Amino acid sequence: MKNRLKVLRAERDWSQADLADRLEVSRQTINALETGKYDPSLPLAFKIARLFGQSIETIFQDEA
Amino acid sequence: MGQAQTPAARRYLARFFPAMIAYVAVLFASIWALRHLDPQGPLLWLVAVAPAVPIMAAIAAMGLYMVEETDEFLRAVLAQSMLWGIGITMALCTVWGFLENAGLLPHPPLYLIFPLFCFSFGVAQPFIARRYR
Repeated sequence: MKNRLKVLRAERDWSQADLADRLEVSRQTINALETGKYDPSLPLAFKIARLFGQSIETIFQDEA
Repeated sequence: MGQAQTPAARRYLARFFPAMIAYVAVLFASIWALRHLDPQGPLLWLVAVAPAVPIMAAIAAMGLYMVEETDEFLRAVLAQSMLWGIGITMALCTVWGFLENAGLLPHPPLYLIFPLFCFSFGVAQPFIARRYR
């Protein structure tokens, strides 16, 4: 699923490791999310949305 | 699991490696006892089965890691790798079984199935992880 994680992260000047720490996940998870090849669980998607102060729909784009 | 490790992965390694060291120790002790002490009856059963106990502990450590890992992506990679490991192990055992049935291959000891699983699970892991890069 396409998402704006990389852009949102760059806007805040965070590294993948910074974002991983804030979300309490591994750096590999951030990488897999940013490539769009791994879709997060609902709890993790909500956590991401809360961290960036945006809705899930504005961060993740359903291509269907 | 070669990267920076999660607490659950560290706990897994702290359980798995002592179990494997215990396995080597118990295995040699068991082989020695079978050869030199000539145990009989229930004692023979105990001495013979002893090396399986640390292996079961190692299997339990793998299961616990799956339960304790809080990182959902790492858990997903692990689950898929384990499924590949199980699939490869079952496929090879089935092929071997039919070839053995026709007298083409000898009967292997069943305790080799666990190392076969560990090997195929380990080989599958980097391939599964690469899919997400």
